[in-house]
Amino acid sequence: MTPRYDGIVIGGGVNGLVAATVLARAGRKILLLERRDGIGGQVRSTEFAPGFKSAALTGDAGWLPSGVVRAVRLAVPELVLPEATLAVRADEREWLVLSRDLGRSAETIRRYSARDAQAWAGFCTRLAKHAGFLAALYQLPPPDIDAARPGELLPLLGLAWKLRGLGRRDMVELLRTVPLAVQELLDDEFESEPLKAAIAASAIRELRQGPRSGGTAFGLLHSQVGAAPGAIRGSGYWKAGPDALAAALAAAARTSGVEIRAGAEVAAVLAREDRVTGVALAHGEEIQSPVVLSSLDPARTLLGLVDPVWLDPEFLLAVRNIKFRGSVVKVSYALDALPDFAGLPGGSTDLTGTLSLSGSLLELERAADAAKYGRISERPHVEVQLPSLRWPDLAPSGKHVLVAHAQWAPFRLRNGSWDAETREALGDRISQTIEQAAPGFGALVREREVLTPADLAQRYGLTEGALNHGEMGLDQILFMRPVAGAARYAMPLSGLYLCGAGAHPGYGSSGGPGWLAAKRVLSDV
Amino acid sequence: MPQRYDAILIGGGHNALVAAAYLARAGRRVVVLERRPLVGGAAVTEEIFPGFKFSVFSYVVSLLRPEIIRDLELPRHGLQILPLESTVVPLDNGDHLGLWSDPDQSRRELARHSPLDAEAAPLFGRLMHHMAMAVKPILAMVPPDPTSLAPSDLRGMLRFAGHFRSLGAERFHALHKLMTMASADYLDEWFELDCLKATKAASGIIGTFLGPRSPGSAYVLLHHYMGEIDGAFRAWGFQKGGTGAISEAIASAARAAGAEIRTEAPVERVLVRNGRATGVALGSGEELAAPVVVSGLDPRRTFLELVDRALLPEDVVTAIERFKFRGSSGKVNLALSELPNFSCLPGPGPHLRGAISISPSVDYLERAYDDAKYGEFSREPYMDVAIPSMIDPGMAPPGKHVLSAFVQYAPYQLNGGWSDARREAFGDAVVNTLARYAPNLPGAIIGRQVITPVDIERITGLSEGNIFQGELALSQLFFLRPLPAWASYRTPIRGYWQCGAGTHPGGGIMGASGRLAALEILKGSRA
Repeated sequence: MTPRYDGIVIGGGVNGLVAATVLARAGRKILLLERRDGIGGQVRSTEFAPGFKSAALTGDAGWLPSGVVRAVRLAVPELVLPEATLAVRADEREWLVLSRDLGRSAETIRRYSARDAQAWAGFCTRLAKHAGFLAALYQLPPPDIDAARPGELLPLLGLAWKLRGLGRRDMVELLRTVPLAVQELLDDEFESEPLKAAIAASAIRELRQGPRSGGTAFGLLHSQVGAAPGAIRGSGYWKAGPDALAAALAAAARTSGVEIRAGAEVAAVLAREDRVTGVALAHGEEIQSPVVLSSLDPARTLLGLVDPVWLDPEFLLAVRNIKFRGSVVKVSYALDALPDFAGLPGGSTDLTGTLSLSGSLLELERAADAAKYGRISERPHVEVQLPSLRWPDLAPSGKHVLVAHAQWAPFRLRNGSWDAETREALGDRISQTIEQAAPGFGALVREREVLTPADLAQRYGLTEGALNHGEMGLDQILFMRPVAGAARYAMPLSGLYLCGAGAHPGYGSSGGPGWLAAKRVLSDV
Repeated sequence: MPQRYDAILIGGGHNALVAAAYLARAGRRVVVLERRPLVGGAAVTEEIFPGFKFSVFSYVVSLLRPEIIRDLELPRHGLQILPLESTVVPLDNGDHLGLWSDPDQSRRELARHSPLDAEAAPLFGRLMHHMAMAVKPILAMVPPDPTSLAPSDLRGMLRFAGHFRSLGAERFHALHKLMTMASADYLDEWFELDCLKATKAASGIIGTFLGPRSPGSAYVLLHHYMGEIDGAFRAWGFQKGGTGAISEAIASAARAAGAEIRTEAPVERVLVRNGRATGVALGSGEELAAPVVVSGLDPRRTFLELVDRALLPEDVVTAIERFKFRGSSGKVNLALSELPNFSCLPGPGPHLRGAISISPSVDYLERAYDDAKYGEFSREPYMDVAIPSMIDPGMAPPGKHVLSAFVQYAPYQLNGGWSDARREAFGDAVVNTLARYAPNLPGAIIGRQVITPVDIERITGLSEGNIFQGELALSQLFFLRPLPAWASYRTPIRGYWQCGAGTHPGGGIMGASGRLAALEILKGSRA
């Protein structure tokens, strides 16, 4: 029997859609299977209360690499870039608002420290240069020590050239920065606490570590890939709605001839004689294909879908050792009115960006301590967005949606489990934190939905609720992602590829892994 | 006319002594200038209480490079290392974990706690051995400047890259993990027994301001696996007569080769004329002249105190100002009327001849770190305890003993600052913690010396009391130690060199920095 498809892509998130489209555009017959009833994965809005929709899990638009846009001929949806990108609550009365405009940010920073205001533009320029180097690195397959093919060495040399091209000072600075704790980096640069807290919050998003942990400075560089200099959290949002990117990608996929089936959960990847032969769906149907790409995370793919007989025990052990450690909680609130964040200048215009409620590095670090011992932070670090200000139709007229991103709440609790009581107690803690910044907030809440790491794991099929498919730490990036020796998309079972955020360049690059994985398939088959 | 030498070494620590010995052996006329009445820096033996001798700061040895022992014929000059044969960890449930030099005994002991870990331990040991072997050639390399296009630096970078390639993918990846991970995470991949992980992780936090769950700590773990005595990896031992006797042995070798060693000769500043070092001025006003001046002090003192910072490029000054010291270790030296009696292993026994590690769990270490992170000394600190008089009876009067406790964490920057009262409170925390495991200890104390990072700085001159002359963090290693472009033991001032542990490869009684610096100096003067 001849397979009906040249390739099957598991998972209809951004990476799955991109991989499928790139392959279809090269003339392959591709089937994309999505477990849920709609595509989009993490970049899809959901109705969490009658009439109220929450935005994508990722919040902002994020970085869409130009290579991806070209590879899928994407009609890029229109982006809105709010002027105020990030406001941090300095104390009970004041907010420090960072803008897209370097000069305007410097003016705000000057209220806290003239020296920091002076240093701001230089710091942002350097950060952008370093992030620019990462952006180049992220559009190539991961470099590896035994890259033998001459064709692979050339881009590597180009990369080395680009590194030198940064100039002596920046090159040294980059080498020194990457392993630092973000707090060390910031202490060298700035003296104003709210400013440091604002920047550090970007570095530790989705990490279990606090700002004093080594490698978190890399987290900061990573978060700035694709951003304009100074635009901390400034990737903006899609004008047409939170689902705009998913819709555009789905359109590109369909135009390229990808067949998309939603509501089709893959239960297993089938193999025979050390080769992939297709997939089996949860309801029993089997679909043949010599190539399967999974955009699920590496543990779900390799431990969940593949019969262990096809994989080397050492390899499986390495997969089991991947650190996921989801510790992020998302809370969606249905509000009767716009909350009043005391002291926030500019009123609601500032609310289209992100508000961070932790005004000092100490607060961040203390909140992070709990997770080390398997506990939930007593005073979690909370960031909020008001998606209904970006897209009014997410809520009924006059009503609003507030989304809180909170850390840290480890997937694995040392004592107890993620039952309803624990979940709602955490929700209360987060509500109280918001209440402190926006007095009267609690009275506006009509409904709320708390998604703990356990809930994220279940709803989105994420191991340990890790949105990033594995921590983006120095030991789990580049040639170490998902595991050493299998970083180039092809898994050690012939015909099986990983095309999700668990592969290089990882989480935070819309479609990057999908694009590079599809290129690998095209060069193999 | 000032007295003239071929080379002047500032500071009589073990690295400067090693450098002096190598220079003298090559026929150079050298002088070592030490501020204190005795040489050794942080490797000194002192009689703190009558009849009780202590390795006051650095107390064990294993990293001393075998080529130095060989070249300088140190055994002839008194080097005699007595191996430490065990590590015993008292546990909170009254039990203990013992790791013995006899592999079979260790295996049985581990199997008693966890059969799985007993199986994993030899495999882990082998991997660490291979990793240490993989890093070893780098310890003997002069770091190239990655930003330079000079042929010698490009060759150096190629040699560096070539070395990694020659490891093969598997070992390279394992090394990458060690360089970037937290020691606790790394050990989680291998073991299940918490107290075993804690005890191993403890060597990853020594001398750093990291907790076992902080990425970067796994490298320090490896650094401590690199020790070798007589070519045998992982062996730690005591020098007969304390670590001061190692310094004495090196000093003796240097003198034998013709080096002059002057104590109580503090150097005030390095003399520089026309961008060239010409000699030094002593605190007494005396001046000594030499075309080569080598500082064995840490980078902060070398760059910012001994010379006028106006003579240095601005980016060099900034980089040194950012170099992290953050001393985090203390030491408590006790004179005892009797041996401590550990409840987990009552009475005298072989465990008292080895190390006692107070590291009952990874959480315990992490909590100790959390205290320090927020500016307090650990209420319940990690300790590496040894009783040198058990192995080397000459350290204490007959029937009496000396106990040395290396303690973490004691942050240099203590909330409110260190005072006599705070020092004693820290000493009390140490003694009380030990008393939980050896209840007779407080009653046996005849004398107690408590050393905080501020004391380490005051006595030895090590900035912020950092025992490695600067943290062994990834951002401060190899060509970043102490700063890029100046990691080759040179400084921007011609004729002014550095040879301390603040240069590659760094801390511990290793001597490699001193040796590599001397070889570079000799290479330079030949040309």
